[in-house]
Amino acid sequence: MNIKNEVLVRVYIVLSVIVLAAICIFAQAIKISVIEGDRWRAKGKELYVKYVDVEADRGNIITEDGSLLATSLPFFEIRFDPNSTGMQEKDFESNIDSLAFCLATYVDNTYTPGGMAEFLRNERLLGKRNVLIKRKVSYSELKRIREFPLFNKGQYRGGLIVDRRSERHRPFNMLAHRTIGYIRDGAKPVGLEGYFDKYLAGKKGKRLMVRAGKAWIPINDLTEIEPTVGDDILTTLDIDLQDVTETALLRGMQHHNAKHGTAILMEVKTGAIKAIANIGRTEKGWWETYNHAVGSAVEPGSTYKLATIMALLEDGHIKLTDSIDIEKGKHQFYEEEMIDASKESFTIDTTTIQRAFEISSNVGIAKLVQLHYGNREKRAAENFIKRLKSFNLHLPVGIEIDGEAPPYLKEAYSADDDWSGTTLPWMSIGYEVTITPLQMLNLYNAVANDGVMMKPYMVKEIQRYGETLSKIRPTVVNKRIASPKTISEVQSLLEAVVEEGTAHRLKTSQYKFAGKTGTAQTNYKRRSSKKNLKYRASFAGYFPAEDPIYSCLVMITEPSQNGIYGGDVAGPIFREIADNAYASKIALTPAINAYAKAPLTEKKFPSISVGKKDEMAYVLSYLGLPIDKTTKRDWGVLKADSDTLNLYGRTIIEDKVPNVVGMGLRDALYVLENKGLKVVVSGAGKVVNQSIIPGTQIRSQTIRLRLN
Amino acid sequence: MSVGNRIYSELAGDRTIWVVVIVLAIFSILTVYSATGHIAFTEKGGNTEFYLLKHSIFILAGLFLTYVCYLLHYMQYSKIAPVLLLLSIPLLVYTIAFGAEVNEARRWITVPLIGLTFQTSDLAKLALIIYVARAISSKQEYIKDFNSAFLPIIVPILIIVSLIAPADLSTALMLFLTCILMMFIGRVDVRFILLLLFLGIVIFACLIIIGTAFPDIVRVETWVTRIQDFIENNDGGYQIQQSKIAIASGEWFGLGPGNSVQRNYLPAPYSDFIYGIICEEYGLVGGLLILILYVLLFFRCAKIITKSPKAFGAMLVIGLGLSLTLQALANIAVSVHLVPVTGLTLPLVSMGGTSIIFSSIAFGIILSVSKYIERTA
Repeated sequence: MNIKNEVLVRVYIVLSVIVLAAICIFAQAIKISVIEGDRWRAKGKELYVKYVDVEADRGNIITEDGSLLATSLPFFEIRFDPNSTGMQEKDFESNIDSLAFCLATYVDNTYTPGGMAEFLRNERLLGKRNVLIKRKVSYSELKRIREFPLFNKGQYRGGLIVDRRSERHRPFNMLAHRTIGYIRDGAKPVGLEGYFDKYLAGKKGKRLMVRAGKAWIPINDLTEIEPTVGDDILTTLDIDLQDVTETALLRGMQHHNAKHGTAILMEVKTGAIKAIANIGRTEKGWWETYNHAVGSAVEPGSTYKLATIMALLEDGHIKLTDSIDIEKGKHQFYEEEMIDASKESFTIDTTTIQRAFEISSNVGIAKLVQLHYGNREKRAAENFIKRLKSFNLHLPVGIEIDGEAPPYLKEAYSADDDWSGTTLPWMSIGYEVTITPLQMLNLYNAVANDGVMMKPYMVKEIQRYGETLSKIRPTVVNKRIASPKTISEVQSLLEAVVEEGTAHRLKTSQYKFAGKTGTAQTNYKRRSSKKNLKYRASFAGYFPAEDPIYSCLVMITEPSQNGIYGGDVAGPIFREIADNAYASKIALTPAINAYAKAPLTEKKFPSISVGKKDEMAYVLSYLGLPIDKTTKRDWGVLKADSDTLNLYGRTIIEDKVPNVVGMGLRDALYVLENKGLKVVVSGAGKVVNQSIIPGTQIRSQTIRLRLN
Repeated sequence: MSVGNRIYSELAGDRTIWVVVIVLAIFSILTVYSATGHIAFTEKGGNTEFYLLKHSIFILAGLFLTYVCYLLHYMQYSKIAPVLLLLSIPLLVYTIAFGAEVNEARRWITVPLIGLTFQTSDLAKLALIIYVARAISSKQEYIKDFNSAFLPIIVPILIIVSLIAPADLSTALMLFLTCILMMFIGRVDVRFILLLLFLGIVIFACLIIIGTAFPDIVRVETWVTRIQDFIENNDGGYQIQQSKIAIASGEWFGLGPGNSVQRNYLPAPYSDFIYGIICEEYGLVGGLLILILYVLLFFRCAKIITKSPKAFGAMLVIGLGLSLTLQALANIAVSVHLVPVTGLTLPLVSMGGTSIIFSSIAFGIILSVSKYIERTA
């Protein structure tokens, strides 16, 4: 055989082997796909995976001072897969009894250990993949459950399935309930939760789930794509003021048994809403059900006279000292008779415009408007409307809550708006116009703010993990709604209302405030008899009058007992809010440099103080205080003995309750919780008392600490 | 001249092999794109184009390399082979000692400066095959002699193979088998080859002994469990079962491109078990086509040797052809549960930079030889 032939023979041998191998391989493929095909395909159908969304934790809604108005708390759902693919028979058998013991003892008391073991064995025999163990488990419980026999082998071998959920909590319950709002499936998003959903919601994660029988179980212990926690929103709300406002409103609502009521407190200089409360009567008692402050535009009644008098002054038609005949509170405008609400009017005929406003004379104000805008051509009425528009009374304020009702302002002589001869006089006293409480308040706020109208707002920052992402600054809507002269005149007018007008009973010697009462009839259109009249009582104003910090509006709809007038119903609520706000925020917080500096006279060594030795040594050396004796232990007690500082050791024994008296809360928690104790704390400062005496054997008890 | 004609004339040499390369490359891009759907979600946040783009770039770079290697005269490789071989020995040692660990095996080193990782065994494999081809062809006249022909050939084989084996037994075995078959075709005495086989077994036994002492260096444990799995488990382990489900779901004509379900369950559906996905999406027909392409490749290589049996080029083509085809068959055999699980990729089809690059070079060299041998013959 020559070289060439020998090579060729050998090449062909190799080639045949390769072809043969390929045929074998393909035959095997056919065997799998055709002969065993049905079996494998059936097996494949059992498997199904899908990605499911993993909800991100919603961001928090926080008050200005850091209180949580709404937060998401995580919890875990624990399930057991007794037929997990990775579970081995011997693992199951050797651990199931101890697992059942742990579960029956620590997790589910309805079972005995034996009963639990039988239950789990049975579920395994039935081929179950997804046995519910407990629906709601806290993180610390979960940590312990993960250590249980069998479960400690992880999901694949141990069959522990953990599903993380979270729940929305509102630590302050009813406070600003409606304003915080909610997001619910199938319901329209409400309040700040709804408006700021795109920040709060975060980004959903994804998790790969596999079908096991009828149930879906996660393939991996971990989430494939981690969800991103939502951003926090920092509101302008102040939890103390909100509490005060809500409490005052609730008290008023109960006293007058009204249908619903609203109170808003706003910071004059910025337009920041510090408190907003809405309380209504429900079958289950008083509760926040609808945000009337933002969502209901109503006929305001006499509080609107502020706008009217500003228009008259600004257009130069009147001086406050001019006389007006209020005709003992009765005047016929065409076919309608206008009657004043307060009895005082019935004794007066000619008086000053100032006095007419103070006693809230409808006839007085309406006659002035009729005189200056109503008796000549259309132009005059148009001027009045134009002037009201310059006070932004035709525009929504743009608060960050969906569903703000726009105000309603008629156009002069417009047939669409049912303009009639009586429109102008009635508009001037707050009828035939509608406006929301917040929009009304915004006008009073602008007057308090010397004519600068701010945009009311409720969210000042978007934060993530306490870091500011974006800031929302106060916005000026209108730098000058009226001339300084007009503003200062109406300011003193509003003060006079409180000093000697319809609100004089509300006067206090603590501080001066300014405002205007309002009493509107809510059902005058369909009155059949005069007896069944229903009212809306309101009070709008600001305080302290000289240098206004807050403006506030209270509106009570349909009070059914103990009075109907704004001064009697809404006024006292306003006072209660103002008193508290004044006492807690204004009087108690003098300027930081209002007093002379206190001299540093105290010379005292730090007394008994317990903490990490190294940290204390560091602090003392930073302060330049030399330590005379020190200890080798981790924890030290600092004692001043006559004129020396000594650091004594504090022993912490492995399984005994340690002595934490003298420690700060952070250190005490660290020491105690590391030992598996549950800690309940009261007070603030350093630990002065512990409920379990040091040296007691640790059996994961609950220990109570008193701090002082 | 039309573009088609221009390409046709540009791609001279064995045009069947060109077709094999291009069809494999197309299959590769399609299947990898589909198979990476799952890791695109887990690793890249759902950006499925990431792996498509990365893989396509590698495939295009590979085809370009094929073309460059094809343009070079194959005798050039003969000159650099000993250098590469000498270079690969320290590299392999370095890999065993300091290589990056991927899936508990040290097979990768990071190239300084550019930061890319590559599998040193691929380089050593190429160098060894070129070297053996040269040795066999140059010693043809006295090839049956033990001292002057057999020894110089087997010493590098044994060194390289025993350096690859600790971390990557399957690659070492494939390479060993390739060399043995090259020697067989190159007329080495069958008795010597049996001796070499025996030596191989001795070295393997030594490795096992070392492995029990130093499990970090030699992955004996993995070998044992895989072989145990293969023998004990009739249906195969989890991976194999998933692969079988994939093959069975495809039936004859497949679920269609991109419709794989099993990519979600199969571990490494884009590399080790890509054949399962091909069968699932293109059916047994597609699977057969892939098999035929590799067998065809070897058949064309065999064709070249019939033209010039003694030439270095012919030996080189047989070596490279064997290497590619054997690895492909081994990879597929794993997928259909004929052999225990290995880490071998499907040449030019599986995702993975080094594998694609070296497969492309191998194809390029084969094509280069086919071109010049055609011209001289």
